[in-house]
Amino acid sequence: MIRTETASLTYWDHGRAIKACDQISLAIRKDEFVGILGPSGSGKSSLLYLLSGLKDPTAGVVFYDEQPYAQRPPDERAAIRLNAFGFVFQQPFLIGFLTALENVMCANGSRHEHRARKLLESLGLQDKMNRLPSDLSGGEKQRVCIARALLHEPKVVFADEPTASLDHETGTQVVEMLVRNRNGALVMVTHDESMLTQADRVLRIHEGRLQESS
Amino acid sequence: MIAIIMLAVVLIAGIVAIIDSIPLSVQKVYGYSRFLTGVTPRGDMSYFPTILRHFEKSPVPIERRIICRTSIFNVNTIVGPWPFVLHGINPNDFDYLSNKLRLGRLDGRQPISGRGEAVITKPIAKNLRLHLGSIMLSPHDEKNYSLTPVVVVGIYDSDQWFAYTSYEYLVQTHFPPVDVAIYFAKDQQTQRRLDAWADKTLAGTKANVYTYPKVERDTAESLAVLFRILDLVVGLLVVVITIMMCMLVNIYLSQRIVEFGLLQAIGISRKRLVTRTVAEAAWMILTGWIVGSAVTAAVLTLIRNVLMNPKGYYIDPLDPLAYVYTIPVPAAVLITSIAIVLIKFAKFDPIAVIERRIV
Ligand SMILES: Nc1ncnc2c1ncn2[C@@H]1O[C@H](COP(=O)(O)OP(=O)(O)O)[C@@H](O)[C@H]1O
Ligand SMILES: [Mg+2]
Repeated sequence: MIRTETASLTYWDHGRAIKACDQISLAIRKDEFVGILGPSGSGKSSLLYLLSGLKDPTAGVVFYDEQPYAQRPPDERAAIRLNAFGFVFQQPFLIGFLTALENVMCANGSRHEHRARKLLESLGLQDKMNRLPSDLSGGEKQRVCIARALLHEPKVVFADEPTASLDHETGTQVVEMLVRNRNGALVMVTHDESMLTQADRVLRIHEGRLQESS
Repeated sequence: MIAIIMLAVVLIAGIVAIIDSIPLSVQKVYGYSRFLTGVTPRGDMSYFPTILRHFEKSPVPIERRIICRTSIFNVNTIVGPWPFVLHGINPNDFDYLSNKLRLGRLDGRQPISGRGEAVITKPIAKNLRLHLGSIMLSPHDEKNYSLTPVVVVGIYDSDQWFAYTSYEYLVQTHFPPVDVAIYFAKDQQTQRRLDAWADKTLAGTKANVYTYPKVERDTAESLAVLFRILDLVVGLLVVVITIMMCMLVNIYLSQRIVEFGLLQAIGISRKRLVTRTVAEAAWMILTGWIVGSAVTAAVLTLIRNVLMNPKGYYIDPLDPLAYVYTIPVPAAVLITSIAIVLIKFAKFDPIAVIERRIV
């Protein structure tokens, strides 16, 4: 479904080249849970941006449904992210003036209200749907983000260190919920191997290079 | 943001409406001259017969000629005293004149020939606080002087501004002894033709022609400078407010940068975000403008009813010119807001927000 061919992403920082992703070739298959493990600064986030089409590779190609992102106009790429992907970022970004429930529906519209409520319920937030983000704990906010990412039953959920801002126990719960409530593939990036016990595959990344392990 | 636009609209519309009330007052106060063409010799009474002969050859049909005298008194306006004419009319012209000028019902009686008596209309009564029996002109009053006291003996129930005494009274008390010939045509259209003809025929002679178009033209000319200053003030105001709003819009967008970054990252297209933001801004600006206009209309109506009307002053709370003058403010703010939004989004990288590199 998503495939990279020797994709590289090089940043330029004050004239110095930083190879955040170095000739990475991999494929994400339908409905699988792929874990990407690596220390901080190894290029995990960068790889996620390549896979989701948020960034273009500086060399190589990234395909979605066998067509490179680079060949698609920006609006189409936005539409793919909106309809086919779900995102959970390291920080639980929510819109401050919207309630938890409204945040879940902010991108994909209120036609999914019923599903939004059910998702929040299954994530243990049945009593907090109408609270503003400022009245939620970090773990609760991240669960709202998960509900937002899952609302439209995306084909792929990208999670970039979704547990980094949470304590270990809450983090484990959050991953558990993400895994349990997903309908499609899950690509999760982390530096914490214990979060990936349920993954179908774990890829290790180090200084932008990939090594696959079971 | 809404409040600033609102205040600017109230300020501008208020000022313009007040300035624009001057030509409106001219129209109302001197409105009677719409019905007539007045001619008088410049100082030299011996030229009067020549004037009359000129008019005998008028190609525009004349309904009636009235010979009268005039003296001047003052009425009050928001811009200070204005000169107004006290006509000295022959008693056999009273009825014709009151019909022609649509003066309506007369409360009291007509002035007796040669006596210090005058008839006025309601707006003048309000303006100068006169009632039946009030002394309107007197030898002790510098502003409204007459050799002997002039008493109000009749008040017409009409919106027209008009005042007259008897011809005989002005002949006895008023200097210089110069007659005025007033010509009436059967309707407004014919009157304007008569005005134009008289203006043309008597140009360069020793005759002075008074017509309504001339009054309007003179007012417009004397207000032209004022309106040019107004343009400048409004222009400056637009610049100041626009700069202020630019800063506000900038702060506003910066506050919401996380929201925009997030929405763009999860798949809301830039186009949609820009449209949404611009629509929000447009909505706020429009609201400010509408509310501001409504407040202006309300305040001006209040001013008119409480302060202006009782004194016979005029202002139009719905003066179109006032509201036209307010348009540059919301328009400039809207255009700059759109420009700022476009610039902000053009170099906007949602990843930078997600990675917390700008917040
Ligand atoms: N916008 C950027 N400009 C320059 N260097 C960057 C930028 N983003 C990331 N990097 C660098 O690229 C490398 C990989 O970053 P990243 O993909 O964020 O790693 P991870 O998510 O594994 O911590 C790091 O060395 C980081 O400093
Ligand atoms: Mg990262």
